[in-house]
Amino acid sequence: MIHFENVSVRFGGTTALSEVTLEVPAGMLCVLVGPSGSGKSTLMKLVNRLVEPSAGRVLVRGSDVAGQDPARLRRSIGYVMQSTGLFPHRTVAANIGTVPRLLGWDSSRIAARVADLLEMVQLDPGLAERLPGALSGGQAQRVGLARALAADPDILLMDEPFGAVDPITRRDLRAELRRIHAETGKTILLVTHDPEEALELASQVAVLRDGRLVAEGPPAALVAPDAPDFARTLLGGGQPGLRRLSLLPAEVAQDARPAPADAPALDEGATLADALSRMAETGRDVLALGQGSLRLEAVLARGR
Amino acid sequence: MMAPLLALVLALVALLPGWFGGFPPGRLLGLAASHAGLALAGVVPAAALGLALGVLVTRPAGRALRPAADALAAAAQAVPPVVAVALAVPAMGFGWGPTILALLLYGLMPVLRATVAALEAVPPEARLAALALGYTPAGALREVELPLAWPLVLDGLRVALVLAVATAAVGALAGAATLGTPIVLGLQNQNQLLVLQGAAATAALAFAAEGALLAASTYAARGRRSSASPASSEGRPQSRKP
Repeated sequence: MIHFENVSVRFGGTTALSEVTLEVPAGMLCVLVGPSGSGKSTLMKLVNRLVEPSAGRVLVRGSDVAGQDPARLRRSIGYVMQSTGLFPHRTVAANIGTVPRLLGWDSSRIAARVADLLEMVQLDPGLAERLPGALSGGQAQRVGLARALAADPDILLMDEPFGAVDPITRRDLRAELRRIHAETGKTILLVTHDPEEALELASQVAVLRDGRLVAEGPPAALVAPDAPDFARTLLGGGQPGLRRLSLLPAEVAQDARPAPADAPALDEGATLADALSRMAETGRDVLALGQGSLRLEAVLARGR
Repeated sequence: MMAPLLALVLALVALLPGWFGGFPPGRLLGLAASHAGLALAGVVPAAALGLALGVLVTRPAGRALRPAADALAAAAQAVPPVVAVALAVPAMGFGWGPTILALLLYGLMPVLRATVAALEAVPPEARLAALALGYTPAGALREVELPLAWPLVLDGLRVALVLAVATAAVGALAGAATLGTPIVLGLQNQNQLLVLQGAAATAALAFAAEGALLAASTYAARGRRSSASPASSEGRPQSRKP
């Protein structure tokens, strides 16, 4: 869906990105993570031509973006930013309807779409006629998300979308994003400097450092012992083993042998980290999992 | 609130002496109309040029022209209108021409400065969002930047208009019929009453122009607010979802 081929970006004398090659397949939620100045935001902005490559190519839906009209390309790609970027002189409804209006939809179709989107991002329809200045940070961020989704783009770019809201709101918004991604199957490119957020949301993680792509893959692979050091340290948060277990469903280590009758049971959907926690709090090394069991040594084997 | 009141008081000061041997009120009103026309004829091109230059030097392509435009506007402002009129008469002859030129030069800087400041005060994230969502640069200017900049631009236009109305009196020196005419007459004939009437009438007209533009901008802002958001007028903050 999105393909960066040997892309370099230079601003004046400084190199923001050098020779990055990355493939983001359709339907992925790809998180670009790295310290500030690592070039993650620049990489994302190449997709809708807010930044132009100095060398290399960026392919979106199979064709080079360099040959496409920037305004039309951007209207086909949703964009969410940290500071929301809502237009302060326009109502919530008018903000959400921006891209449909640019695409020439008629007003009744826009109104219907706005109502659907307010519901999708779980906002009170009564907010539609408010100005952005009257919204809380979390509400404003939801409006920003609704605005990006308005014309139903197949690609969504999100630049530190949850960086400016409080931790509780951030948790809700992340859950919301996971739900929307699961429901719509959109290809999402999300930039964050928060490793935890990266692991929680991503189906694919790309780690950047000083303008270079240093690691890329599914989240669990990047905290595995054989992952590149920088990625493992950044994403592992001092406990890469536990982080890895928290990314793996308990079923992967399931044992067909039944558990002893008195073994504590593990809930459906639990991860290996949940299993380890359950073992620690009950002092038992075997848990019941579905028809089978889960043994401590099998859990530990997966951490390596 | 103050401007209309001051305009009224000053108008009385200008008109009343007419019934006691001063400049006749009927002629004064005629001069006021001509004065207002001349001021508008000067301020409209100043506003148009100032707005256009302000937009131009805040575009990426025009940024290099910014110092030149600033210098031009400052130089134009530095020439006293009396001097501009005096210098223009040999080239343009008597009448409205020299005064319109002087007012154009004098009004350029306030409009240019206000336009540039207003466009630079537009939140950068609103501008970025406009481009990222797929506005063309012209569309972003028209739909996002100018509407957000408008209140500050309007302040600059008000300053330019008041300056133009106050300054148009110098047109009398070049033979244009303005409220400067009784002032010039009074100075020539050492009649202080005529000077007072002309000065008071000019000031009254300037305050009236200020009041009119203030009222217009308040009305426009209120219209925008109420059509945009009926809910915002409710006093009580409503329950907020995170």
